[in-house]
Amino acid sequence: MHYESPIREPLILGDKNYHDVTVEVARPIETAPPRSWWIAFSISLLLFLWGVGNILYTIGTGIGTWGLNKTVGWAWDITNFVWWVGIGHAGTLISAVLLLFRQKWRMSINRSAEAMTIFSVIQAALFPGIHMGRIWLAYFVFPIPNQFGSLWVNFNSPLLWDVFAISTYFSVSVVFWYVGLIPDFAMLRDRAIKPVQKHVYTILSFGWGGKAKHWQRFEEVSLVLAGLATPLVLSVHTIVSMDFATSVIPGWHTTIFPPYFVAGAIFSGFAMVQTLLIIMRKMFRMEHYITIQHIEMMNIVIMLTGSIVGVAYITELFIAWYSGVEYEQYAFLNRATGPYAWAYWSMMTCNVFSPQLMWVKKWRTNIMFTFIISIVVNIGMWFERFVIIVTSLHRDYLPSSWTMFSPTFVDIGIYLGTIGFFFVLFLLYARTFPVIAQAELKTILKSSGESQKKHHTEDGHH
Amino acid sequence: MAEVKKYWKGLEELKESSPIMDNLRQNEFASEMPVEDFLGNGEMLAGAQTSRRDFLKYLGFSTAAAALAACEAPIVESIPYVVKPDSVLPGVPNYYASNYYDGHDFASILVKTREGRPIKVDANRDAPFNGSANARVQAAALSLYDNSRLKSAVKEGQEVEWSSILAEVSKEVAKAKSAVLLSNTIISPTISEAISEFELTHSNFKHISYDALSLSGKLDAWQELTGRRALPCYNISQVGLIVSIGADFLSDYNGQSMTSDYSKSRELSKNMARHIQFESVMSLSGSNADKRVRVKPSEQSQVLLAIYNELAKAKGESQLASANLDAKLMQDAANTAKELMKASASVVFVGGNKKEDEVLCYAINKLLGNLDRSVLVSKRSRLRAGNDKALNQLIAEMNAGKVDVLILDSVNPVYNVRGFEEALAKVKYKVAIADRLDETSSKSNVVLPMHHGFESWSDALPVDGVFNLGQPLIRPLFNTMQREEILLAVMGNSSKYYDYLRSYWSSNILPMGMGWNQAVHDGFYMSEKSEIEAGEASSELVTNYDEIVASSGKQISTAKAAGIEISFYQKASMGVGILSNNPWLQEMPDPLTRASWDNYLTMSASQAKELGLENSNTSNGSLNGSKVDITVNGITLTEVPVYIQPGQTYGTVGLALGYGRTMAGKAGNNVGVNAFVLLQDGMHSASDVRIEKSASDDHEFACVQLHHTMMGRDIVREVTLDTFLNKPAKANGEGWNERTTYETYEGALTSDDANLWKDFDHKTGHFWNLSIDLTKCIGCGACVIACHAENNVPVVGKDEVRRSRDMHWLRIDRYFSSDMNEEVAQEGNIGAIDMFNAMEEPSESPEVVFQPVMCQHCNHAPCETVCPVAATTHSAEGLNHMAYNRCIGTRYCANNCPYKVRRFNWFLYHDNQDQFDVNYAMNDDLGKMVLNPDVTVRSRGVMEKCSMCIQRIQYGKLEAKKEGRPVADGEIQTACAQACDTGAIRFGDANDSQSEIAKLKKDDRMYHLLDEVGTQPSVFYQTKVRNKA
Repeated sequence: MHYESPIREPLILGDKNYHDVTVEVARPIETAPPRSWWIAFSISLLLFLWGVGNILYTIGTGIGTWGLNKTVGWAWDITNFVWWVGIGHAGTLISAVLLLFRQKWRMSINRSAEAMTIFSVIQAALFPGIHMGRIWLAYFVFPIPNQFGSLWVNFNSPLLWDVFAISTYFSVSVVFWYVGLIPDFAMLRDRAIKPVQKHVYTILSFGWGGKAKHWQRFEEVSLVLAGLATPLVLSVHTIVSMDFATSVIPGWHTTIFPPYFVAGAIFSGFAMVQTLLIIMRKMFRMEHYITIQHIEMMNIVIMLTGSIVGVAYITELFIAWYSGVEYEQYAFLNRATGPYAWAYWSMMTCNVFSPQLMWVKKWRTNIMFTFIISIVVNIGMWFERFVIIVTSLHRDYLPSSWTMFSPTFVDIGIYLGTIGFFFVLFLLYARTFPVIAQAELKTILKSSGESQKKHHTEDGHH
Repeated sequence: MAEVKKYWKGLEELKESSPIMDNLRQNEFASEMPVEDFLGNGEMLAGAQTSRRDFLKYLGFSTAAAALAACEAPIVESIPYVVKPDSVLPGVPNYYASNYYDGHDFASILVKTREGRPIKVDANRDAPFNGSANARVQAAALSLYDNSRLKSAVKEGQEVEWSSILAEVSKEVAKAKSAVLLSNTIISPTISEAISEFELTHSNFKHISYDALSLSGKLDAWQELTGRRALPCYNISQVGLIVSIGADFLSDYNGQSMTSDYSKSRELSKNMARHIQFESVMSLSGSNADKRVRVKPSEQSQVLLAIYNELAKAKGESQLASANLDAKLMQDAANTAKELMKASASVVFVGGNKKEDEVLCYAINKLLGNLDRSVLVSKRSRLRAGNDKALNQLIAEMNAGKVDVLILDSVNPVYNVRGFEEALAKVKYKVAIADRLDETSSKSNVVLPMHHGFESWSDALPVDGVFNLGQPLIRPLFNTMQREEILLAVMGNSSKYYDYLRSYWSSNILPMGMGWNQAVHDGFYMSEKSEIEAGEASSELVTNYDEIVASSGKQISTAKAAGIEISFYQKASMGVGILSNNPWLQEMPDPLTRASWDNYLTMSASQAKELGLENSNTSNGSLNGSKVDITVNGITLTEVPVYIQPGQTYGTVGLALGYGRTMAGKAGNNVGVNAFVLLQDGMHSASDVRIEKSASDDHEFACVQLHHTMMGRDIVREVTLDTFLNKPAKANGEGWNERTTYETYEGALTSDDANLWKDFDHKTGHFWNLSIDLTKCIGCGACVIACHAENNVPVVGKDEVRRSRDMHWLRIDRYFSSDMNEEVAQEGNIGAIDMFNAMEEPSESPEVVFQPVMCQHCNHAPCETVCPVAATTHSAEGLNHMAYNRCIGTRYCANNCPYKVRRFNWFLYHDNQDQFDVNYAMNDDLGKMVLNPDVTVRSRGVMEKCSMCIQRIQYGKLEAKKEGRPVADGEIQTACAQACDTGAIRFGDANDSQSEIAKLKKDDRMYHLLDEVGTQPSVFYQTKVRNKA
């Protein structure tokens, strides 16, 4: 008797065999980039160079080129920092946490998600550097032996924790990502025809031989690194949130911040993954690997984390009222009704209301809709950080110091520059790295299932 | 034939045959050189520690090291003393008593010099008159190093030799048919006598003086009433009631500084003086008043008349013509009169320059028996003696071409006298004694540059009986000459002014050959013979007194004023604009409007609304205001910005003098508009002002405070005198100065007890604390400038201030009361959002509080914990330190500061002429001489803030240590405490139980700003007490 168990929706469509996967993953690397890539790359590069120019101008002239003032000491710099760090979170979550939870669907997207993590952490790491008044002394923040007397760093400072959190996160992410890349690099090496390419991929693939022992070590290391990276998903943004939570400024001094920031980070990270992958699957014709199912799954995560964020916003308001602290109450009232109310309501609309639309299956499986929402969410998350930082600072305790913040062209230029830089990295990555973890993906290829059956049917065998 | 000298090399050479000499003659090297030992012994060489290679290494290293050491940048422009003056020790300041007089402000001062450079001006507290230094006097040190000062004598644009030009001028004066010396009020007894004598002996010579802001009318009144043309001195330290009608006696009234006496009269007790002010523009005095009534300038006279009539009625004297006032103001005047009757001692001031007002004010003070009690008729101020009639006559003569030679002695009439410029053009030979090529001197044929006051000898008789002597503090920086010496030379006397002055003093002032050195040391000499002028008269001598008063009353009663009225006032920072080119003063925010680098038309909110004018904030918060064209006395000033000023009387506007200079220098040029052109007949106000909105864009203000109310927060604590005297400060939460407590499982705790922090030990050693008495602080801003000078605080210019980036370490917050508060909201059932919106609007007739805020030196400092590199740390003495060279500029500390007192160096503020040229204290080699060498000039990218003058603390501690004694209370003073005339700021060691600060810390009124945040500051405030009825 022939029993066929009900099967899940396949994670990869289009009856791929191993060779198909190899060819399709290697195609963007082995072929010349399309015009659209060049256009995107040129725009990104221009933005990046514009950003570099603005950064150099800042370093050469002073932080005064930004819109900051005596009351608002941080604005777009730290907003951008938190935003980029937050975006990074999705990559680690997808590759590490979902690996531990054995979520196989992650395999088509984890490589790019992780690349996104690394590239966005690079953007994020720029800001704590360039926001310093004296960046040339940035090494002061590292606890290195020195001859300035017995000067040590201040371990009480959340900003110092940030330094550790970000650098740990970055290094673990890079290692994790790289380890995953090794078999894929080896695949490219094996296919490479041009000597330079071959040489480079030989070096990059660390002498991978595909032996059983290699695979075993690969699996083990992946698991260990996933274990290491998982707490980082929670810790990094927790620590970033402590920059604010441990302060005394109303609107910053909030115990809810750590979970709220982590949820927000995952929320924005998934949105960014959506934005990138929707473009990439189209550009590289990878619709069979990154399917509607993936998009839907991620939309569900966005909806969930968006709701968590919404609850956090409302909790903040409630606690402000409930605490009876007049400064706290005013801080939140001012957020919602003060001169920056437009930012607050932009945030609310983008982050709380828009993800709720994902309850409708038709919408959450619509690619265009998803793409729009993913951008809306990231706008919202940028505003969230702006609202937290600027609206709390601009009207704190003493009304005599209250003022406003307005960005200069340099603030805007640097932000655009990081977006440019991010896409420059991502676009280069997309043309040189295997954008899908094909070695992993091949483990879930239904080579003996559906395709075989179909094959049989087509051949007329029974 | 030249003799060949023989020099002996030693005693041995004297002997005929010395074995040593023989030996030396034959043997160049007396003892054997151990060459063989070194080089002959191959074994030893081989075994030597230093091989040839090592030797080369050492050689190479030492050559390289020497070469590197030689690369060190040479120290330029640092010249050591060849012969060090006895009194000058590098690193140790010297203090010299001297005078400051610029034609407007007079102060007896103590100047701190470092290595021969005057760097800081302080008040000479021992001086009997004006031993106080307001913001302008404090800033004078910078003006000494102003590079736009004229550096040599100039004739028709060409540099000339002093000797020839002085001879020429003197010849011109001698041969002129009519030569006139125009000066401001001259208070030097020496030179004024020399001028008078010259005037007597030369019929073609005339001396005329005028004051930039005329008090001629008042002087005429005193002439008429007492026979002597001089304003009285006031003693308000004992009075119980101060009534000021339009007089800003706390900034400038008759030239006398009354701030410390004001503070004394307002010592807290049941006798605390009450202060009632009637005025149109919110002034410094008005903002400190217990009761402030808004009136128009024209109504001021009427109020005066009404008060007189009420008093006369009560005293049974005859009343004058009735006042022309509405019922409400009539009632206010009657109430004031009633209070005046009740008060044991009182004083009445009147502002403006109307003769009849002053007569009536005199009459009121006479009725109240204040003459020679608070209004010292027998002790006159000599700081204002200008004569408008003489000036007007001079202008007429000049226009008629009757003046051949005009000597303009340190005055600037082209700037501050209407119509002078045209008249000046008709004078053939114009000589200006000036410090720079200003509006007037640039139009003169000859400009004779004078010394800065700190480069000259000077004497002064600012008030009857007090002679001041000023000594030079530095050698003249340029090829300039002492002003008095120029005058002497012009009058044909070629003696050195020092000799002249000294001989005058010894023969006329000092007792026989005595006391010169003492007088130079003290800076003043109190004369027994209090009067110099002959023919003194008192009020009894005037026979037609009643007639004068009655006619003044009648004049006031029938006076008419229509339309919008304007009053011209002085800002605490700028005065009449003499120190316009002083960037410290330009950047000093006005105490009331908190705008810097500007003057503007102050206007009430309702008036502005009516005229369609508004103030608005741009996206970065900065203030914009509509511009108007105003026409006053037939002259139109275009594009005058409008500032909406709470407390301004409806139907009036105000405009500050001292702005709109065009040739003051790079800091002072084209800042604001010149209000002097609108002044007519020396009056300080005018009516029938036409105001039209300009077509141009809004004006951009540089205002350091954009929110004017306390938003119902517990920031400045305030009680009425009655509550203060009769109710307990602390009474289980019911007192008037309670600390906030928090309910915990251990019961209700204050923020000190309910905290998780490890406390610093502040029981041992010093514990530096600062107390700020909000009752005494009048908001004058002298401390702000003192802090600038002491701590090398940068000036950032208008654009940067506009971006909310002022660098003041010490700011004086000013809050207006609002008509909305929580009670009103509750009664009116108003929601929180509407309530807060309404709270942002200051009342149209607000109460005002000033609160100096500097780093609070928290003992649980939020800034210290967040700095990643520990650049800001806590000292064992209760101070919050800032290590500039450790700071990397994350600004986290500034964000986390609840008081927002930290200031970031957004740009390179020193040696950056491209951006900060106006700040010549840091961007000009000469200007930099004013910098305090004890304080680091901060570089770009670091955070800075008040250090509680740590350099002074260290200096004081070292001095005490050297002498092996503990630091005495009051020995160490912060710059702000030292500058404070009213004694509002007090500094000391709270661990010294006998110290003043320790007592102040236990005072009932003591509270910490934002106590509930738990920062435990070392700075504390004393609750403001208002003497409300």
